[in-house]
Amino acid sequence: MQQHEFDIIVVGGGGAGLRAAIAAAEAGAKAGSNKAKPLNIAMLSKVYPMRSHTVAAEGGAAAVTRPDDTVEAHFDDTVAGGDWLAEQGVVDYFVRHAYQELVQMEHWGCPWSRKPNGDVQVRRFGGMKTERTWFAADKTGFHMLHTLFQTSLKYPSIQRFDEYFVLDLLVSVQQQVQGVLALEISTGELHMLYANAVIMATGGAGRVFRFNTNGGIVTGDGMAIAYRHGVPLRDMEFVQYHPTGLPGSGILITEACRGEGGLLVNKDGYRYLQDYGLGPETPLGKPENKYMELGPRDKLSQAFWHEQKAGRTGKHHGSDVVYLDLRHLGKAYLYERLPFICELAKAYVDVDPVHELIPIRPAVHYTMGGIETDAHCETTLKGLFAAGECASVGLHGANRLGSNSLTELLVFGRLAGEQAAARALQKGVKVTGLEQESQKLHKKWQTKLHKLTDTSQEARSWVPIKRELVATMETGCGIYRDEQGLQQALDSVRRLQAEFQHVRVGDNSKAYNTDLLHCLELEFSLDVAEAICLAALERRESRGAHQRLDADCTERNDAEFLRHSQVFYVPGKAAKLKWQAVDTHISAPGERLYGSAGSAHAGAAAEVQREPTEFEQKQRGKKEGSSDGGE
Amino acid sequence: MSYKPTLTRTWWLKHRFFMLYMLREGTVLPLVFLLCSLSAGAFALQSVEQFASWQRFMANPWVVAIHTVALIAALYHAFTFFKLFPRVMPIRVGTKLVPPAIMVVGQWLAVVAVITVFLWLFVFSGAAHGIVAGPGGGV
Amino acid sequence: MAANKGMQQALVRVKRYLPEEQQKTQSEPFWQEFTVPFDESTSVLDALNFIKEELDPSLSFRWSCRMAICGSCGFMLNGIPKLGCKEFLRNYSVRTSPAQKNTATNTSITASLTVEPLAHFTVERDLIVNMDEFLIHLEAVKPYLIAETSTQKQLQPSLQTPAQLAKYKQFANCINCGLCYSACPQFCLNPEFLGPAAIALAQRYNLDSRDTGKAVRMPMLNSHNGVWSCTFVGFCSDVCPKQVDPAAAVNQGKVESAKSMLIQMFKGSTAHEL
Ligand SMILES: Cc1cc2nc3c(=O)[nH]c(=O)nc-3n(C[C@H](O)[C@H](O)[C@H](O)COP(=O)(O)OP(=O)(O)OC[C@H]3O[C@@H](n4cnc5c(N)ncnc54)[C@H](O)[C@@H]3O)c2cc1C
Ligand code: SF4
Ligand code: FES
Repeated sequence: MQQHEFDIIVVGGGGAGLRAAIAAAEAGAKAGSNKAKPLNIAMLSKVYPMRSHTVAAEGGAAAVTRPDDTVEAHFDDTVAGGDWLAEQGVVDYFVRHAYQELVQMEHWGCPWSRKPNGDVQVRRFGGMKTERTWFAADKTGFHMLHTLFQTSLKYPSIQRFDEYFVLDLLVSVQQQVQGVLALEISTGELHMLYANAVIMATGGAGRVFRFNTNGGIVTGDGMAIAYRHGVPLRDMEFVQYHPTGLPGSGILITEACRGEGGLLVNKDGYRYLQDYGLGPETPLGKPENKYMELGPRDKLSQAFWHEQKAGRTGKHHGSDVVYLDLRHLGKAYLYERLPFICELAKAYVDVDPVHELIPIRPAVHYTMGGIETDAHCETTLKGLFAAGECASVGLHGANRLGSNSLTELLVFGRLAGEQAAARALQKGVKVTGLEQESQKLHKKWQTKLHKLTDTSQEARSWVPIKRELVATMETGCGIYRDEQGLQQALDSVRRLQAEFQHVRVGDNSKAYNTDLLHCLELEFSLDVAEAICLAALERRESRGAHQRLDADCTERNDAEFLRHSQVFYVPGKAAKLKWQAVDTHISAPGERLYGSAGSAHAGAAAEVQREPTEFEQKQRGKKEGSSDGGE
Repeated sequence: MSYKPTLTRTWWLKHRFFMLYMLREGTVLPLVFLLCSLSAGAFALQSVEQFASWQRFMANPWVVAIHTVALIAALYHAFTFFKLFPRVMPIRVGTKLVPPAIMVVGQWLAVVAVITVFLWLFVFSGAAHGIVAGPGGGV
Repeated sequence: MAANKGMQQALVRVKRYLPEEQQKTQSEPFWQEFTVPFDESTSVLDALNFIKEELDPSLSFRWSCRMAICGSCGFMLNGIPKLGCKEFLRNYSVRTSPAQKNTATNTSITASLTVEPLAHFTVERDLIVNMDEFLIHLEAVKPYLIAETSTQKQLQPSLQTPAQLAKYKQFANCINCGLCYSACPQFCLNPEFLGPAAIALAQRYNLDSRDTGKAVRMPMLNSHNGVWSCTFVGFCSDVCPKQVDPAAAVNQGKVESAKSMLIQMFKGSTAHEL
């Protein structure tokens, strides 16, 4: 086993990991000027950093930019969008630091799209009251990731370990993080890396579901690793379905299409969203924030489900679909603003958006929950920080607004990096018995890997387990859920966890044993899936992305459930769930309204004038006023 | 533990793109021949006999054939070069690129112009008038 | 992906290399054939995943996004560098003759292709090549914005008009897939050659109106392993899945390099005269 010593370890080379590593390097350099040596930072990633799934983000990153916009408005949109389950102090910090971070990206060379006078251009996004989404054509995540990666090359104190698969955390008997254990993919060798501060930035877990917009590497590894060490996973029941994925592959068609004026129609060409509390219909070419196609994602995905039940969806190669109409935007505009969408539609469904409708359907997109951290990105395990999609810092609540998460990578990636640097610079608490712990951990994984690749035993593939897992999650934890389905899903996941114990991979080689890696990823995914099912089962209400159909659960129930769920790992046993209070000190829970109902409320705080639809009647209530976001 | 395949001698036969590339590089051979012929001509100006023998040499059907090949080669090279030129020297008006096709057509017009000037100087007005100087260069 | 009835069959020949076994037996890389079911939407990457999950779990290759943006899945398909996730088996159809009947399943083969690791790189295993050979070149050109930021500028974004953006945007679209290196015979002959993508990236920053680092990057481009190693084969641009046109970048680099060398000479001689 090779051993390496560092001051800070960053696990993950996506947007959050890179931003954290740069922040730590800069903090280290500052501290280094009056100290003997700057901080040494290790950044591990199971793929080359620029392959991380941040690369796939298309739409943009939000920050208050226009003079007629305010951080209070961004705060309100985020908190209401998250159905009041966001940590309001965290949201407040976020909206205040968003702009500065996007400007920093600009100074690092990010090719943001511009207005004719050279100013940064902003676009509309779902659930946002004002145009505040910065974008780089429709490849925002790609440009941000490459800008961050290339910028990180400037810092010699960041040492990259590309294609190292992190297996576990090294934790001292005093319950402090002391490093990570990683598998060097090219050689199959184990490496122990030591540091007082470790930042998890391993991304989401969308691949737990069958039909999703995520890359193959998005398997929830970091969440499971922290969880197995007793750190709670928070709000895991909230899984965002994006309303517009391509049928078959699940490849994302960005929300920016609707921001630019795209329409959603059912098989009859009818703009069905007006029937689901998002109307009235906005005229062609005049999209309005928070109306119709620019409603939040959960509502749009739910509307699809209703249309599907009512038989008003079309068919594309056996999938039920609705259609995205961009034709009226014209070729020149589409090629300027949405070139990647044109390319993807052509390649993967053979449709030219200039002349044809794009078939689309909802797909699992984002995990709002994750590794619980405090407002400073630190987890309950001392020295372990988390940022990005793997973390639950409390920004998104029950539903994330599109374009908040790319900004989150920057704001909280930086914060995590700085906090970790501060921790690394502190005189550490005495750690004893580390040598032994390290030996123990190494031994444990050696045995485990040996068992998994033991070819004297009959090979039992992980593939059937994975297939059943993703199908189970899709059926049991879909857009709408109920007690029975969730219980079944939870039981199935637990059975699959037991079955996993008998898995043996057929490949016992060392170099690039991808069969073994996929198998380890599946084990992580199983743990994450259990947490999702358990939290979803226990949350007997409907809130944000978590919608239930069973009696008494169809409404939001603040009295009992204005709380975060926390799932705890129990070795060898079923996971446990606890509830945690939510910080609502700035804005008291109110009604989430969009379309005209939303404006009527915001404007006069009066009742909506026209006849409400049946759907709206259910949603109607009184908003209890919101104060501004002062600190 | 790894391996690295090396380039085979016939690598350029594996794809049409590479063959065309080799053809483009190959255009240098007839052109070298042409330049040698021309240099010899300049040298032959020293005496009438030498010049006469040079003229005989130039009239040899093989030499004419090679020079024709050289002309075709030069035109082919120009063709490939003109296609590449807009990419090497893109011209923009605002955010819009001047369409490469227009630049390619422009370059061919220049070639036609040069040829016309030469034809006018040497064929129509007649070299007998003793005009030696012509507009040099090309593109 | 299960083998449905409506599916056709493709013959996929994959170049295999298992370093540990082959070290032991002193054997060469070998070809392995698989029959894979496919329909209109099956990509080459889908086919490889089918092979891995159903036929031979030991087959190793890289992939992630399956939407042609992460740059992981470059392979030689029938000898041409391509992204596996952006190529579809339907485009490799062969006319079926009775002779090509698959005896095992008694279905006829309607498509066939060969898959090899990216050319001109060291192969580590199966379809996995050593990507560090690519990254060192990328890192060498100082691919980041070099600029002085005044404190006032730190708080606000700099201005950049759409026209200024358009100058370099194309070169900023590179996904680092490495296909262009597999298309470049010069890179094969001289692995020290910076290569198409790295030079495109250098140009990306050189052309950025916010950047002042050109002087730092030019020596790399001027050097023997810089732009002048390129003989303008141009195939790199042909295979680029993102229309980056790295050949254009390299040759624009030559113009720049020539200019900067002329200026050097001119400066040198005037200094002499004075
Ligand atoms: C298709 C798509 C489009 C999106 N569009 C937008 C948008 O327009 N706006 C917006 O705000 N958000 C968008 N999002 C969401 C946003 O892009 C993601 O939430 C965000 O990019 C996640 O970044 P990250 O850094 O947390 O993780 P990632 O970018 O996923 O990076 C995770 C990193 O962790 C590493 N890693 C994971 N496990 C291990 C392990 N075991 N060992 C070592 N390393 C490991 C990986 O190698 C990788 O480097 C989109 C998401 C998707 C899927
Ligand atoms: S220039 Fe094109 S082919 Fe080369 S690495 Fe970049 S995207 Fe790939
Ligand atoms: S898998 Fe990402 S480019 Fe093909």
